[in-house]
Parts: sequence; C-alpha cells; structure tokens
Amino acid sequence: MADAIRIENLRKTFRLGFIPRPREILKGITFSVREGETFGYLGPNGAGKTTTIKCLLDLIHPDSGTIEILGRPASSPRSREPLGFLPENPYFYDYLTAREFLAFTADLFGLDRCVKRERIARLLGLVGLERAADLPLRKYSRGMLQRAGLAQALINDPKLVVLDEPLGGMDPLGRKEIRDIIVRFKDEGKTVFFTSHILQDIEMICDRVAIIVGGRIVKEGGLRDLVSEKVLFTEVTVSGISPQAFADLGECVSTRGDRVLLKVYDEALVDAVVSLVHDRKGRLVSLSPRTETLEDIFVDTVTRT
Amino acid sequence: MKTPTRHGSATILLVLFLVASLGAIAGLKAATDRVVRRKLPGSSIIYIPSGKFLKYATFGYRDLAADLIYLWSIQYYSTPTIDDRYDHLDHVFAIINELDPRFQDPYEVGAMIAVDGAREVLTGAQDLSRGRGREAYARSLIEAAFKILDRGAANNPDQYIYAFDAGHIALMTLRDYPLAEKYFAQCMKIPGAPEFVERLRANAIFRKGDLKTAWETWFDIYRRAPDERTKKIADNHLYNIKATIDQTALQEAAAKYRDRFGRWPSDLQALVGAGLVREVPRDFDGRDYVYDPATGKVRTVIDPWRR
Amino acid sequence: MTIRAIAGITFKEAKRDRILYLLLFFAALGIVASRVLAILTVGDRVKIIKDVGLASISLFGVLMAILIGTGLVYKEIDKKTIYTLLAKPLHRSEFILGKFLGLVLTLLVMTGAMALIFLAIVFAHTGTIEGGLLVAVAYIFLELVLITAVAILFSSFSTPILSSLFALAFYLIGHLSWGLELLIKKMRPGAGRVLVHALYMVLPDLENFNFRTEVVHGLSIPPGIYLISLLYGVCYTAFILGLAVLIFRRRDFV
Repeated sequence: MADAIRIENLRKTFRLGFIPRPREILKGITFSVREGETFGYLGPNGAGKTTTIKCLLDLIHPDSGTIEILGRPASSPRSREPLGFLPENPYFYDYLTAREFLAFTADLFGLDRCVKRERIARLLGLVGLERAADLPLRKYSRGMLQRAGLAQALINDPKLVVLDEPLGGMDPLGRKEIRDIIVRFKDEGKTVFFTSHILQDIEMICDRVAIIVGGRIVKEGGLRDLVSEKVLFTEVTVSGISPQAFADLGECVSTRGDRVLLKVYDEALVDAVVSLVHDRKGRLVSLSPRTETLEDIFVDTVTRT
Repeated sequence: MKTPTRHGSATILLVLFLVASLGAIAGLKAATDRVVRRKLPGSSIIYIPSGKFLKYATFGYRDLAADLIYLWSIQYYSTPTIDDRYDHLDHVFAIINELDPRFQDPYEVGAMIAVDGAREVLTGAQDLSRGRGREAYARSLIEAAFKILDRGAANNPDQYIYAFDAGHIALMTLRDYPLAEKYFAQCMKIPGAPEFVERLRANAIFRKGDLKTAWETWFDIYRRAPDERTKKIADNHLYNIKATIDQTALQEAAAKYRDRFGRWPSDLQALVGAGLVREVPRDFDGRDYVYDPATGKVRTVIDPWRR
Repeated sequence: MTIRAIAGITFKEAKRDRILYLLLFFAALGIVASRVLAILTVGDRVKIIKDVGLASISLFGVLMAILIGTGLVYKEIDKKTIYTLLAKPLHRSEFILGKFLGLVLTLLVMTGAMALIFLAIVFAHTGTIEGGLLVAVAYIFLELVLITAVAILFSSFSTPILSSLFALAFYLIGHLSWGLELLIKKMRPGAGRVLVHALYMVLPDLENFNFRTEVVHGLSIPPGIYLISLLYGVCYTAFILGLAVLIFRRRDFV
C-alpha cells in the first residue's frame, strides 16, 4: 500500500526580524502515513506541528528534505487535488454564506454543476449546517465555523484529509460528532492526518502517532505498540473504613466524608484491599486499574527530551 | 520528492519574462516619445480662474500656489511652440500677484517677458499676433508690462524697482519721454532709490523737449551734487542743454537769413548784423561755436560728454 | 477555472467596500460641481466641465484602485483566509491574477458609472457626445488597470498604509516622466546621464494614457499613439503582475 504522506529529512529554518536571527524550527523530520490509516501528530506548543503541515501544503517552502503526497511532490499544486485541509481557528470570507463558500470552493476544483449541487447538499447535512446554510459566515459561532471548515475540506471527496486541531474549542457533543465523522473517514478508506492536544481523542481514533518535540520526531509508531497494557496502579475508592487500615497496602490519596481514595501500586495487594473491605464490612465504591495512557507517554517523552 | 529543477525552472522562466517585458516597455516608451504629440503644457489656457477665486480655492496655501504657478509660467513662456502664449500674460501674472502680492520676482519677470514678447511679436519670423496685427499686439504686451509693474509698485510701495523698470521701458523701448519722466519722478521719491534716478528724470525731461525745465533740473542737481563726479556729469548736461538751445536758435536764424538773402551767412556775426539774433552766444565754457557756412550747421567745438 | 472563481469572489468582496461608494459620490459631486466652477472662469465654459469631469474620473478612479487594491492581498494574509485557499490545487500566480481581474472588473463598473454621469452632464450642456471623450475615459481606465496591478504588487508583501504610499509614489513618478526628460537634456554626457536615461526608459510614463488635454481642447491625436499606448499599458501591467507573482511565489506564510 502506498504512502499517503511521505516526509524525509524535512528541515526549515526561519530568518525573521529586522536583523535576521535564524531559528531552526524543523531539524530533520522523517515519518510516513500509510494510505487508509488515521494518524495523530502530537507535540508541545512550538514544536513544529503547524510548520510541518504548512510545508505539506506548500504554504512554507522547506529548506531541504522530501515531502510527497500520494506520490506527488508537495511543491506541485496537483498534489493537493486529492487533499482536504481544515486549519486551526478557521476563518473564511465572512460576507459569504456557507453555501456560497462551498460553491466557491467547488469551483476551485472545477467540479461540474450537478456534482457541485449534490455534494454541497450532502456535506451540509453531514456537518449539520442545513438550517444555517444561507446565513453569512460572520454570524456563525466557533463550532459552526469548524463544521463549515470541515465541509469545505471534503468538497472534493479527498483521499487524504489534513486537520489541524479539529477538536479544539468545541463542546463535548460537538467533539463527539467530529470524532464520529473522522471514524467514518476511516470506513470510507480515507487517510486522516491530524494534530490535537486532546490526547484522549487521539487514543480513541488513531492507528498511529508521531510525537514531535523541538523540531524532531522523538517517537513514532502504532498506538498499540507505544501504549502498553501495563497497569500502573489501581485506584480503589472505599467507604466506611478508616484510612489507617490500609496503611501498608496502598497510598491514601484523599478522603471525603467517609470515602477514602487509595492508590494501590502492587496488583497483588489489590486483592488484599478487597478482602479487608469485605472483612470490615465496608463498601467498595469503585475499583479502576489505571493503565498507561498516551498522556503518560507524552508527558514522559516531552520532559525527557 | 522536491523537484528543485521544476520549481527553479518556473522561476527562471518568470525572470526571463520580466526581463523581456521590461525590454518591451523600454521599446514602447521610445516609440511613444517618437510620436509627436501636441504636448502643450497648459496650452491655450481657454479657461483661467480669476485670482480672487484661486485665493480662496488654495486653502491657505496661497504662497505655495503662487510659487507653483510662477514656476509653471516660466516654463510656459519659454516654450516657443506655444504660439498663443502671450494672449493672457497679464491675467496669468495678475493671478500670481493676487495670490502673493509681496512676491517680488514675478512682477519684474512678468514685465520682462512682456517686453521681450513685444519685441518678438514685431520682429520674429512667426506671426505671434496670429492675424490680429503685429503692432497692436505688441502694444498690448507693452501695456501689460506696465500694468504688471504698476501693480508691483502699488502692492510694494517700499520697492523702488518697479517704477525704475517702468521708467526704463518707457525711456528705452517706447521712447515715451514724458512717461519716463513720470516714472522716474515716482521712483525718486521712494527711499532707497539710487541717486542716479534723478539724473535719468532730468534726461527724460530734456529728451521730451522741455529745455527750460531740463536746465533748471540739471542746475539743481549741479548745486546739490555730493561729489566731483556728479558735478561733472551735471556740468556736462548743462553744457549740452545750453548748446542745444543755442544751436537751435542759431540754426533757425541761419535758415531765416538764407530765406531772406538766398544763401547761408558767412559767419555767425552776420546774423547779428541782420538783426536776427541779439548777440552770438558762447558755449557754457565761454568758447565759440563752430559754424559751417556751407551747410548752415552749428556745432560745439568740443564733445559735451568728453569735456 | 480557478482564476475566474477567485475573480468572482474578489468582485463580490470589493463591491461591498463602502469606500467605493463614498469615492463614487465625491466623483459625481466633482463632475456636477464643474458646472459651478464654470461660472467662475474667464473663457469657454464647456471646456472646464469636460476637464474637471475627466480629472474627477481619473483622480477618484486612482483612489479607488489604490485604496481597495492595497488591502486585497494583505487582508487575506492577515485574516488567514489564504491558508484554506492556497491549500487547494492552484498556483500562486492564479491567486494573484484572480485578485487582479476581480478588482479590474470592479473598477470597470465604477468607471462606467462615473463616465455615465459625466457624459450625461456634457450632453446636457452641448447636446452631443464626442467620441474623443469616450477615448479619453477608455485610456483613463487603462491607467487604472496598471495602478491596480501596482497596488496588488505592494499588497502582496506590505501593509495597506505602506502599499498605498508606494502606489501613490508610483502614480506621481509616472506623471513626472517629462521632468526626467528635462533633466537628461540638462545633464552633461557621462555615466550619470546614461543611468538617468536608463531610469527614464524604464520608469512608468503614465502621460501616455493621458489624452484629456487633446480631447478637451479639440487637438488632433496622431493615430499611431493609440496602439502604442495600449501596448505600453498592457506590457507594463504584465511586468508588474509578473513581479507580483515572482515575489508572492517565494513567500512563506508563517
């Protein structure tokens, strides 16, 4: 299966300011996104995520390195024919309505009349903007703009969808909707490449991730490979028993009323805690094993670098 | 893979295109320059706003407007291809003067242009009057010169130069001696006027033929002369006036003699004998005049100006 | 066709700009006020109406071109709408050309409106419409097209205020070409004169589009100049647009 995106040794140094002081933003980025997979691109602020995307879209010209989109060099406009892009904080021509804006975008791809009309209607339905379709975009809320942006990214039925922070600034319901749409892409065979800070969402939907820190890829791989199933500790919430009873079994994190929250590090000791609760006639409120999450890995990686 | 050749080749093509279009631009510019357009800057000023209107329209930038119009007028009047440029000369300079009455140059330069223009109208190859008659047109230009200078004098009573220039034009160009006298008299009264202006006035009086007043004026100058040089000049003029008076009288008498006796008198004494003159006058230095019996002409024994 | 699509929304956006209508109002005012000015003159009145009218169309047209043109590209970059636009499969040159054509279309409509008012007033005074006036307006429009290209050139890398100043400077330089000519005549032959002469050939000569004097005073225009001026305008516009594309292509949108 071909690579939807192939980036090799991408470098970019910015010379900004009146007396140009070079700042090396990308120090040799290499990774690939295979066709059909959902790829998450993570990193702390200023690591170079957006710069990478802009190089991908030929908004920024790299100093050296290779970028290919479905086999075509990113510097060629044709490479963007099968591509759809949703920027962070989308801002569009605020005097146009969503429908007009989508029509304009469709014209940029040279779609013919029937296809255009049908697709606009379908996309407005997909993102839930049918009722607001004829309001000017300046009247849209942030969430509505995000949806409109998603619609315009899909106007050409792209094989590759690039999203920069698609879930930012949306309420939980909105985030769920977007997540569902992204999952649907995967079913349709589309490749999805996106950046996000919300690691829980990435964990939920991505196949592979790459972590970029300080202009370098420090971790890359399948999600299942990076995040082990290891249990870090178990959180146990009990009530009706005083904390001292658990002194050598686990760490008492907090108490509230007669509830005690414990962190039990040794898996074997968990059974001992449960038995204790049973013996003392207390109540086991909850028991949650905490496995390593992406966030743990992320924080660990970033602080280590 | 980034294809530097593809990206670069497009840039090279673009640069080539830019160079080519630049060449085309230069070539076309040369072509437009070759085409002779009747580029008459502000030619045939068919409509000229009045000075009063401009005073308000220029929003307080009057002086600047005066400067700009003045500069424009210099270019305009030195463009020989504009054959109707003298039509509104006074109007143009009136505008400048109205906008900035204390701007001195335009008065003098305007008058100068007018006088030069008059000369050109009369003597030039091109008929600048365009059928209206050279004499009349030239005269109107001279009148314009005087109008401008009068304005200058009126607006700047402390400047002697305008009366001076006007007197000069009257004296040298028009040979209108009464007019010259009037202007020199006006000029004399202005503080700062050069001391020789009164002599110019005196000379104008002489030229206009009023020999008595001329004599009195020169005598007055002689009396008040502050230095030897001025005294000498006045002296020479007085000599000249006396010589002129005497010359005229003697020659008239000689003519009468000839009428009566059919020949010129053999010497000046004969005129006394004939009772045509009371006595034979001597020149200012006390010397005799030189008489030529063949022609009846009297002249001075010495050049009045080389005494 | 992407250029047509971009031109279309540019036109849509430009015609919403209130500045256009404000300037149109003043232009109309100027043209109509020429009637009042005519009373204050010494001489032929119709000529002043024609001259003031054509001058109004020219002046306000240039203001429109500069004020709107300098914001066109800058706004897209500032508001970041350009990201989604350039993420589509189009060349950067198509973007520039689309913006240019959109504004040219807008100016065509505006110039047409001003010309209509102007010709109506002239017709009311003289009962005829001279072909020469239409020619003068057509070449005013050509000058506006060139100024638009210049405004867009500067807009692609500079803020609207600076761009306006540069574009205005271009306009002034373009009308002072004869000054360079005079300077060359007064210079002694040498390297300095060669340099000034080269500048003279290359700097714009906007007087080539100015037929107002001839038309208003009824002077004859040598026929060859029409074609040459037209080609000059087209070539210079192409040059400026080429420069704009060259600069815009190399730009990084940080």
